[in-house]
Amino acid sequence: MLKTLIGRELLDNLMTFRFAAVLLITLLLVVANTVVLIQDYEQRLESYNDAVKMHDTQLRKAKTYSMMYLFVDRAPNPLSIFNVGLDKRLGNLMGIWHGFVPTLWDAQMHGTDNPFIAFFSSIDIVFVFEVILSLMGLIFAYDAIAGERERGTLHLVLAQPIGRGQILLAKYISAMACLLVPLVLSLLFALLLLTRSIPLSTADFLRIAGIVFTSFAYLSLFYLIGLLISVATRRTGTALMLAMFVWGFLILVYPNLIRATVNPGGNIQAGMKTAQNQIQQILNEHEQECQKFLENEIIAAETSEFSKAFGLYNDTYLDPVTLTSYIENVNFISAIPSKFEKDVPLAKRYYDFVERLTIRTIEKTWRIRKQALENIFVRQATMDRILLRLSPVGIYDAATQAWAGTDLSGLRIFFEAARQYRRVIIDYFYAKDAFASREWFVADKGAVDWSTLPQFTFERRDVGTNAKRALPDLFLLLIGNLVLFMGIVLIFIKSEV
Amino acid sequence: MWHITKREVYDNLNSLRFALTTVLLLALMVTNAVKHLREHPERVQRYRDAVTESLNHLTDRANDSLYTLAQYGPGNFYKKPSPLHFCANGGESLLSDAVEVDEPPVFMTDAEGNRLLEGIWSLSYPDANLHNKDVGPNVSQVDWAFIIGSILSLIALWFTFDAFSGEREQGTLRLMLANSIPRHTVLIGKFLGALLSISIPFALAVLVNLLLISTADTVHLTTEAWGRLGIIFALALLYTSLFVALGLLVSARVQQSAVSLMILLLMWVTLVVFMPSTLASIASSFSPAMSFDEFWKQRNPIKEDLWDKYKEGLGSSELDDRKLRAKSEFYTENAEREERWQEERLRYRSSQVHRARAITGISPATLLQHLIEAFAGTGFERHLQFVENTQRYARQLREFVADTDRADPESLHILGVREGMSRKLVNPAAVPRFEDTLNLSRDFNTAAMELLLLTLFVLVLLSGAYLAFVRVEV
Repeated sequence: MLKTLIGRELLDNLMTFRFAAVLLITLLLVVANTVVLIQDYEQRLESYNDAVKMHDTQLRKAKTYSMMYLFVDRAPNPLSIFNVGLDKRLGNLMGIWHGFVPTLWDAQMHGTDNPFIAFFSSIDIVFVFEVILSLMGLIFAYDAIAGERERGTLHLVLAQPIGRGQILLAKYISAMACLLVPLVLSLLFALLLLTRSIPLSTADFLRIAGIVFTSFAYLSLFYLIGLLISVATRRTGTALMLAMFVWGFLILVYPNLIRATVNPGGNIQAGMKTAQNQIQQILNEHEQECQKFLENEIIAAETSEFSKAFGLYNDTYLDPVTLTSYIENVNFISAIPSKFEKDVPLAKRYYDFVERLTIRTIEKTWRIRKQALENIFVRQATMDRILLRLSPVGIYDAATQAWAGTDLSGLRIFFEAARQYRRVIIDYFYAKDAFASREWFVADKGAVDWSTLPQFTFERRDVGTNAKRALPDLFLLLIGNLVLFMGIVLIFIKSEV
Repeated sequence: MWHITKREVYDNLNSLRFALTTVLLLALMVTNAVKHLREHPERVQRYRDAVTESLNHLTDRANDSLYTLAQYGPGNFYKKPSPLHFCANGGESLLSDAVEVDEPPVFMTDAEGNRLLEGIWSLSYPDANLHNKDVGPNVSQVDWAFIIGSILSLIALWFTFDAFSGEREQGTLRLMLANSIPRHTVLIGKFLGALLSISIPFALAVLVNLLLISTADTVHLTTEAWGRLGIIFALALLYTSLFVALGLLVSARVQQSAVSLMILLLMWVTLVVFMPSTLASIASSFSPAMSFDEFWKQRNPIKEDLWDKYKEGLGSSELDDRKLRAKSEFYTENAEREERWQEERLRYRSSQVHRARAITGISPATLLQHLIEAFAGTGFERHLQFVENTQRYARQLREFVADTDRADPESLHILGVREGMSRKLVNPAAVPRFEDTLNLSRDFNTAAMELLLLTLFVLVLLSGAYLAFVRVEV
């Protein structure tokens, strides 16, 4: 009996105008956007490759250790085509040296993009699905029960010896089967285009499968919302109008409204100010200690002469907005006057002392900064995301971002790797005793050999990590589905025909 | 006709959709006002602080000497925040709010660090500090442009999808047409009725919004701002009538109201949500952006031949008149070239944006967005206007320096070099001040094309609806 019902519903749905319209529009939008997105991705990849090449040559130009120009670049994530998340928004270029702890707030852009073009919000496949799938679900559901009630066929169906739950189940299964056609078909087209130009790994395919499954849960949720409205109303006209209102509210209004209304906590400014002062103090102490070293070791009168001959240059920087803090001791001298050759051991000692101190200082500021950044930027964003989850769109977006690895925690892995790399470089310097070497500040007796410098490598985390972050949201969607379905069954059982 | 209009309005006023619409629009507009009241005073304060600082720079330099003024120029320029920021955010975070005055370059120093050869100031156009600090979820701003562009258009469809198809289903269309009313009167009556029923909740929400904003003492709206608000309201009505006409057209052609709504929804999604972004992405991929390194590489050849040109004059060891003149010319030309190089990039980028805009103009939603931006004094055109203002002022200041120098008979009239310039004190009050102004007639000019296009869309759709309805069989 269930089979007969499903068969009937399936035919009913497939032969409609709405099915054709929805199929056409989904295909059109997904394919058009995929083409554009692939082009965009390739452009970003090219600019990434250029940047890597350029930074490599730049590094080799440096003759002394202190002049080191070391940059790491972030490759674009191929899955950003599905959900771009923060992949394009955050910086993709980061300087690495011992006097600076890199975070995502300090990252720069390669600068290939015209920032003005970003006026036009870029869209990704998940965004297309967000809008279209939800609309599809509602369009297929609004008249499922209300329509039959209006036409009087509900009477006939209920007169048969079938449970009401079964009727709903049959409707659900057949509608979902129909709705899957545009979803799967458009995704297949997208994948076809994708694999032709971008090599994807097995892990990527698993991630895409995760995205597809999440899309499915999202679609089903909206179908059930539509069904709920259909069960609860008498007329299709009312059902359609309500469904449309709910759609507009959940997709358009709520996500934008929530970000506008949530006010960041008032004492953020104050907390920022204290952090800034603390960091400034640490930096000042650093400068004093450098000064003290010079005063202790050299006769005061000679200090200025000494520092000029050895090009001592000490710059501390603190940005009041991002709390970016660094210490730079770059050295621009090409040779040491013969008169000062006797002071070279002293200079070596000086740099050995100062650079080690720099590492300690900047790590001290990092501990303060880490906390402050978390309070200022991350907490607010996390709160917004939690509130966004009250709308299925928010959950869907979060889950697909987690699958694609373009969410905040996915991108932070890169910046962690950059910090790790900084440690590696420092260890390398220690191992080479670079701080206490002549090549640290002058290259008159041979330039630095950069060939043994450890290379930066970055691998995205495995699928398991993606899954671990995406699953809570996916479960949330599934639970939503289940609750809605049960609610619908209850209402339908109690309702009169 | 008025009878039909009245009937429509009464019909709508009692409906569920009217109540929902009112609540929705009110919520959005109140949010918009609250957000503006929270953020605008900060924005204005930031601007004022920056302007005061840059004015202090100007006065200090003028007090020092005419030479310092000629060499260091004014302080940075800042874009005045628009009081109508709540109407359209205009991608403000993507645009820099300043035009910077670069410090004079130093070409040569001696062993003691004394500057032997230094240039004069030039303008540069920095990039906005891109929002890579914001790690929050990606959503659009709740400004008027969003409320009108996305929400109001959806509401317009919501009110009209069953205008004819619904009556046909109920059988009342037959009754109405049986009366001796011409069909076009019915159509116009329906059109006005729908437009009016949407305008009522919208006007209400707008009034509440403006009431909140204007009563707060932190935000001050001038008469001109009110005029601009009036224009924006009229734009909103024009835009809404476009979607009302679209709704009537589809409703007249389609038998069932459910199908009509579905078609309308799909059209809306395509027109309002997808077309702007997809078309812009396509447009921007036509011309690849210039990378920062490329931009820097362009600078080198400009500089090299300049150096060759003046090598001779600058090389002479005596500090005579000829050397001073060579120096002055070198500085001026260097600054000019620097500025031209910067401008070139800005022009390249803005032509890219203009191209993208022209293509996205097919979508009425983008047209509206641009129009509201133009009249609210935000967005890209406004940015270009600000840049032009600074360029005009830069010329003005340079002329002022030249004129003041010319007025002093003791001076050698060699600008940009200390020895060649007037040593008389400058009255700081006489130095021209920068003022960032907005010109309504200019805004009209930039918007004219888009305004016409939007009107054209409305007319085409209205006549389409008329033709469809005339031919309709009941």
